[in-house]
Amino acid sequence: MLTIALPKGRLQAPALQRFAAAGIVPEEEPGSSRRLIVPAGAGARFLVLKDGDVPMYVERGAADLGVCGLDQILESGADLLIPIELGFGRCRLCVAAPASRGASGLDDLGRSLRVATKYPRLAAKAFARRGVPIDLVRLSGSVELAAVAGLSDAIVDLVESGRTLAENGLTVVEELLAVSARLVVNRAAYRLKIDELRPLLEKLGGAP
Amino acid sequence: MRGPDDKIASPPPGTQDLLFGAARRLRRCEAALAQVFEAHGYAEVVPPALESAEVFEGQQALRALDRSGHLLAMRADFTAQVARIAATRLSGISPLRLYYRGSVVRDGDGPRERLQAGCELVGAEGPEADAEILALAEAALGALGLSQAARLSVGTMGYFAALVESAGAGPRLSHALSDAVDRKDLPTLRMLCEREVPSGPAREALLALAQPPRPQPEALAPLARARESAPTPQAASALARLEAALAAARGRGLGAEVEVDLGEVRGLGYYTGIVFNLYVAGAPRAVGGGGRYDTLLGRFGDPRPAVGFSLDLDALVPLSEAAR
Repeated sequence: MLTIALPKGRLQAPALQRFAAAGIVPEEEPGSSRRLIVPAGAGARFLVLKDGDVPMYVERGAADLGVCGLDQILESGADLLIPIELGFGRCRLCVAAPASRGASGLDDLGRSLRVATKYPRLAAKAFARRGVPIDLVRLSGSVELAAVAGLSDAIVDLVESGRTLAENGLTVVEELLAVSARLVVNRAAYRLKIDELRPLLEKLGGAP
Repeated sequence: MRGPDDKIASPPPGTQDLLFGAARRLRRCEAALAQVFEAHGYAEVVPPALESAEVFEGQQALRALDRSGHLLAMRADFTAQVARIAATRLSGISPLRLYYRGSVVRDGDGPRERLQAGCELVGAEGPEADAEILALAEAALGALGLSQAARLSVGTMGYFAALVESAGAGPRLSHALSDAVDRKDLPTLRMLCEREVPSGPAREALLALAQPPRPQPEALAPLARARESAPTPQAASALARLEAALAAARGRGLGAEVEVDLGEVRGLGYYTGIVFNLYVAGAPRAVGGGGRYDTLLGRFGDPRPAVGFSLDLDALVPLSEAAR
């Protein structure tokens, strides 16, 4: 029996499609009822989770595998195997600032910065690597607003099309990470349940 | 009346008190392991809880200055201590079979003190010595009632090192490659190889390291395949050595539980040859591991080959209890 951590955000539908193509179909649409564990035949079941909780469930072995954006994987610091790029959920983790600042790189933003983000670990690492001290403001949503309303000098956030940024007078200063959905696998499950996992890895690893 | 200050009411984060039943279970497992180790000819050493900080170079040791200004560290790793003892007080005697039990302390997030037991075989360099340690690790899990559910994943640092060298990778690239291989991160590995490794057998061999392990009956197949297309004599000889060790391990009755994964590159920085991790159903990460470290004793002035393993008792004690 494989336990699969399924994120309930925008990654859910494409992830389910890929699992269905590999022969794993949930008995009901996850999220259509209050069930948090949805069986998928005799060989698998889905745990329906918030995106950011997937790495923890898989690292600690409550799920054998899962689907998660690379941004959440790296932000969590979880010790996971990340064998397959699933080819959806593509976006970029970027530093953005008001266009009026005219910055074309991290170094143009000044020596000491207030940076708002939902990604404190990744933001701190990116600026530390450049030797730029920052005052980190940890937010849980609408990060763009922080830079617009003057709470911060810059933001670190996911950018998909760039439209939200543009509509708020913000511009990308630097791209930090190319993000897409990854299959994540627990280290012990990869050894102990490899006979169940191998066919799934082979099917998911093929072209989407 | 005021309660005690929160700071002193509980042990420091990442440490714990073991009371009564938990203490008894730990001691029972330690005793079972000590019995197996001694039956195989290993003798106990009890190194000090403190060492010169240099002994744990490159590890996340918890350090402090003593009154005379010496930088000391809590024990972060038994192997380095046993290497120090073997290289100094026991330098004339080969081979040495030593075991230990106790706790290691590492400064960081998560558990900071971990209970361990393990063995070191010093002054023996043949594949027979590697096999002895593999078989002893398996016997140790057996003593805890866990060999049914166990899996040993075996690789060799020598092969990865030879591939990296043949690819002409500097320290930055070799670290990135090692990290990608360790996480089975095939997309990143492919990207690194395409961008920075000249095409050829070394690149192909690196890409093969992140493939999933094969089904049991053909567990040794990747080894034979890799040897046929080994890009350099060093790579081929690392694989030949691993094959010899596994053959010797089979001679000692090890079989179905062993799997070859040439992408098994995780381990302490000093491993030079065979490297392995132990997995047991019910634990979400490796419950032990080990490898060959032929250059570590040289740091203490007595260059001798050695191989060993350690077990994570925090993970194994509850599993062993459940298996009883």
